[in-house]
Amino acid sequence: MAQIPNLDNSPLNFTALRERSQKELINILKNGRGKKCLVIDPKLGGSLSLLIQTSMLKENGTELRHLSADPVQTECSKVLYLVRSQLNLMKFISSHIQNDVSKGLQKEYFVYFVPRRTVVCEKIFEEEKVHHLITFGEYPLYILPVDEDVLSCELDLAFRECLIDGDTSALWHVANAIHKLEFSFGVIPTVRAKGKGSAKIVDILNSLQVEEPVNAPDMGAPEINMLILIDREVDMVTPMCFQLTYEGLLDEILQVNNGAVEVDASIIGAQQERNKIKVPLNSSDKLYKDIRDLHFEEVVQVLREKATSMQKDYADVKTTSQSVSELKDFVKKLNSLPEIARHVSLAQHLQTFTCKPSFHSRLDIEQTILELQNFDLCFEYIEEMIHKQEPIISVFRLLVLLSVTNNGLPKKNFDYLRREILHSYGFEHMPTLYNLEKAGLFKRQESKSNWLMISKALQLIASESEASKPDDISYIFSGYAPLSIRIVQHAIRSGWRSIEEILRYLPGPHVDLKRGGSTNSSPFDKVPSFQSNLDRLADGRRALVLVVFVGGVTFAEIAALRFLSSQDGMGYDFIIGTTKIVNGNTVLEALMTTN
Amino acid sequence: LLLKESWDFEKNPMASKGSPLHGPRIRLIEQAQKLFSETKEHNFESKASEEHAKLLRLQHELEVSTKQSIFVGSSISDTIRTCIVLGNHRAALRVRTEFKVSDKRWYWLKAFALATVRDWDSLEKF
Repeated sequence: MAQIPNLDNSPLNFTALRERSQKELINILKNGRGKKCLVIDPKLGGSLSLLIQTSMLKENGTELRHLSADPVQTECSKVLYLVRSQLNLMKFISSHIQNDVSKGLQKEYFVYFVPRRTVVCEKIFEEEKVHHLITFGEYPLYILPVDEDVLSCELDLAFRECLIDGDTSALWHVANAIHKLEFSFGVIPTVRAKGKGSAKIVDILNSLQVEEPVNAPDMGAPEINMLILIDREVDMVTPMCFQLTYEGLLDEILQVNNGAVEVDASIIGAQQERNKIKVPLNSSDKLYKDIRDLHFEEVVQVLREKATSMQKDYADVKTTSQSVSELKDFVKKLNSLPEIARHVSLAQHLQTFTCKPSFHSRLDIEQTILELQNFDLCFEYIEEMIHKQEPIISVFRLLVLLSVTNNGLPKKNFDYLRREILHSYGFEHMPTLYNLEKAGLFKRQESKSNWLMISKALQLIASESEASKPDDISYIFSGYAPLSIRIVQHAIRSGWRSIEEILRYLPGPHVDLKRGGSTNSSPFDKVPSFQSNLDRLADGRRALVLVVFVGGVTFAEIAALRFLSSQDGMGYDFIIGTTKIVNGNTVLEALMTTN
Repeated sequence: LLLKESWDFEKNPMASKGSPLHGPRIRLIEQAQKLFSETKEHNFESKASEEHAKLLRLQHELEVSTKQSIFVGSSISDTIRTCIVLGNHRAALRVRTEFKVSDKRWYWLKAFALATVRDWDSLEKF
């Protein structure tokens, strides 16, 4: 099975989107005859693997290399670099060229920036005196489909850049990505945004529309009906909670990268030479599509049922003589056996973690923190974690959860825990503590917390959790409904007005905007409230909502949105856009300074 | 501005981590500490860098006395653990009093360290 996801079932024509990006890339490669050596920024390589098969690259006469500090050894006279505009990568390239020059080698160099060239990067080449040797270009890859309903900009550091470094280029990137989508699918008529970054994106989007308008008349009706933008900052509680859906758990424990997990061969039970295997995880795998968003406990049950029904079928075949068509059905079922086997072994592996008592005590403490009960107990739990020198990232996750829900910790506790952390894990974590404080994730308490009020108003905590029979998104976290998704629910149903009171307690402004073809002034479209939009779409087509999470989204939240659209009486589908798929660990790791 | 400078100082020694030149590293940290102490809000940071410098000195001493370069760069808790594992309980106690390590943390550390070296007798005793 391929790692590149099958997009045929996508609610929007993603295939066209991907094909365009593929074509653009191949055009770049074809540009200039002869054998070339393609040197890819390793981070970019991961995203490209979701876009194009490596064999396709090789067909176009290219050698493939990953960019690193070591000089490129190649026979080819043309070297093509495909890089993100990052300064350290520019340094690598110029050192390669200088190395070649010192050896008297003459080559042609091409540098393609993804998604666009920047002045700073070219400045480096000028300083290193190699600028005149290079031909520059751009590969405008802003966003790419990572699954049939998920688009990602693959900006790992967007969250950190916006909150700590004050670098807002990620917002510009996202706005451009949305604008590019609008060229394909029409201007999105309704935009609702919450958070500082999101509001800024709306501004940029508007000015882009003025600069390079998407002409509404030749597009027909817009295919995306609503855009909802939410800053990660608005809801930092959800990513800190341990994800309990199958896909979420896979990400938390094994880390899903570019739509695949890498695991030891022994886990899958394969007898292969290599000791690591990549298992692709996307909707092309039918079984995975069915179970990825379920609560893990349920997944285990489903797998068990599948296995026993297989067993029964097998027994039937052995004992009773059957018609040819029945046999054919059976063989068809057998084809799905490798998929079942694979997920059974993955689930088994995950269970070795979820069975541990420490796992359950952690979930308990998360629940206690969310309900804002017994502060002292939570505090002592974290204190003990620090004393036992448990992984610092788990400590930070709970600390951030505690701090965000309590709107900071009392000064005495705050300083005490900070000191204990530095003592236990070393003083090199001081910049991390500073970053967390600056991002408002772990701070001193200055005013009363609004968390209880928010969680009551939005019904974040289910009174009685029923993980096995879900009728609400709170099944995702065994009883906690993700704040971000509750906000989305309200945004769709009635816009911001109904929850304005609550939104005021969450960081950042909120924006509600109607856009659309000014040329297009038929009375029908005059005041298109979303509700009437929905009615109009009642003739078979479902409304499409693009939800963009600025600063990252978790698999659990994606699962919640999929769950919502699958509910009866919900007349809309979701497309999820994000800067990157994250989990609590990756969010916090980005804030931990290592250099 | 002052703030930024001090963070730079603080980050600097991190970058030169593992270098044998303890002297300049300690000096940098002390400089950072002075800068922190000039503002009121950075009481905590100031104290932390003071302790950091103290820790580095102490670790240096320990390395000289044990002739093993395994201390510098590790945290206070790690230092205590290493001392106990090496059987140097007096040094461990010294680190403890020097940095006012709380009883709770001390017991955890001691239990872990003794378990590592399988010194069940001592573990039983305390």
